[in-house]
Amino acid sequence: MQSVENEIQEVFCEVLQDDTLALTESTTAADVDGWDSLIHINLIIALERRFGIKFATAEISRLNSAGANVGTLYELVHKKIR
Amino acid sequence: MNLCSLEFLLLLLVASAVFPWIANIRLRQSLLAMCNAGLLYSFVPGLSDGLCLGLFVASGYVIASLLQVHPHRWILGLYVTLLISAFLVLKKYEFLAVLLPAPVLSHTIGIVGLSYMLFRQIHVAVDALQGQIKDLSLWTYLNYQLNLFGLLAGPIQRYQDFAEDWNRLQPLAADSYDLLRAYLRIFLGVIKMVVVSNFCLESYESLSAVFVDDAYRSTGKNVVKFFMLLYLYPTYLYFNFSGYCDIAIGGAFLFGLRMPENFHAPFISRNMIEFWSRWHMTLGMWIRDYVFTPLYKTIAGHWPDRASSLAFLCYFVALFLAGVWHGATWNFVIFGLLNGVGVSAAKLWETLLLRRRGRRGVNAYLESRAIRALAVAGTFHFVCLTLFFFPSDLRRSVNILTNFVTRFG
Repeated sequence: MQSVENEIQEVFCEVLQDDTLALTESTTAADVDGWDSLIHINLIIALERRFGIKFATAEISRLNSAGANVGTLYELVHKKIR
Repeated sequence: MNLCSLEFLLLLLVASAVFPWIANIRLRQSLLAMCNAGLLYSFVPGLSDGLCLGLFVASGYVIASLLQVHPHRWILGLYVTLLISAFLVLKKYEFLAVLLPAPVLSHTIGIVGLSYMLFRQIHVAVDALQGQIKDLSLWTYLNYQLNLFGLLAGPIQRYQDFAEDWNRLQPLAADSYDLLRAYLRIFLGVIKMVVVSNFCLESYESLSAVFVDDAYRSTGKNVVKFFMLLYLYPTYLYFNFSGYCDIAIGGAFLFGLRMPENFHAPFISRNMIEFWSRWHMTLGMWIRDYVFTPLYKTIAGHWPDRASSLAFLCYFVALFLAGVWHGATWNFVIFGLLNGVGVSAAKLWETLLLRRRGRRGVNAYLESRAIRALAVAGTFHFVCLTLFFFPSDLRRSVNILTNFVTRFG
């Protein structure tokens, strides 16, 4: 069984069309080529489909704000699928 | 009373000096609540205005409380529709004149800060529906909506962020340096508003009058005058609004409230999308979160194959609405249209570059200093053009532009 982190990594690779992408908890949008506001929403939609979850507007905004990183996303996804 | 008036600044000085000496949190909240009520009272001209304001604000609390218990999307949809309709009528949007009978728009009700209240209200209702607001209380909500540091013109703060500070309201300054910095920021804000922005506005007014008069029998100097005119209004607006935000953010800090920043060097933006993440940032974020994201998510959910091409439409709609929100007159429709076109064009250009050059090519493009300089200059002039339509005297703006184009075009 795949870990949540691996599944998120797969989603990122698919959406950003980059198989070489390697996420860590400290990765931010600024570290990933092409991760802009539009791709951010595409990532959210893809994650919602993959895990069968829903992100609230405030959560999507928080994930897009300064200080948020992939670690914040891991934590939120874990909380939602628990 | 406005934020850079002597009465307000004296009130701010006295109340902020008393605030740290109040030991009880309820008393600290009460002091700030009294200041909120005092400022609001100075802006409410009559009973009917006060009644409308009360209904408008109270509806947000009632609906958010209802949505917490019954999280139905149709309740939110109905409420937002009614709220926006009430907002349009209260602000007397000019386009309504073709849809509604004249008596509906002949009212004299004026509510200060209504545009900002609308955004805060929609945010609270949406977040309540989605379970993102746990501790909604009337006391906190009223002070959030009527917070004197955000009442007139933002910054647009989230309820959750306000409540976090409000529920433990205490002095934030760790030492005298922090205090000095807050007072200096207020002072800087006053200088920006009273000295710099007033100078720019006066120069703009006198120059625009001269330009219109001289346009048909001009000398070559009119080109220089036109560009001065083009630059003066954005400079005025920047110093006026960022000065206001300096007073609001610095003042709020003295009372234990951390207001969000609203400006971050907007005139060095390389395109209109970046501009809206640097200019009136809290508006840009609100539009992104509550207009662009739901709109794009809906489109991408229903038509995933067409989502990327329809994204331009989402950018256009979001920024057009942001533009129109600024005011009830027709000039803001042009302002909104130009901004909608600006952000859509920026996204379209980026997509074209990506298709033609690939990610590596785009990175090289973004790193080029020469291209950056050109992009910043181009964006700055486009911003100046959009803000040319910001003053409500549309006829004058169009006259100036027409005169310039016919004479030198």
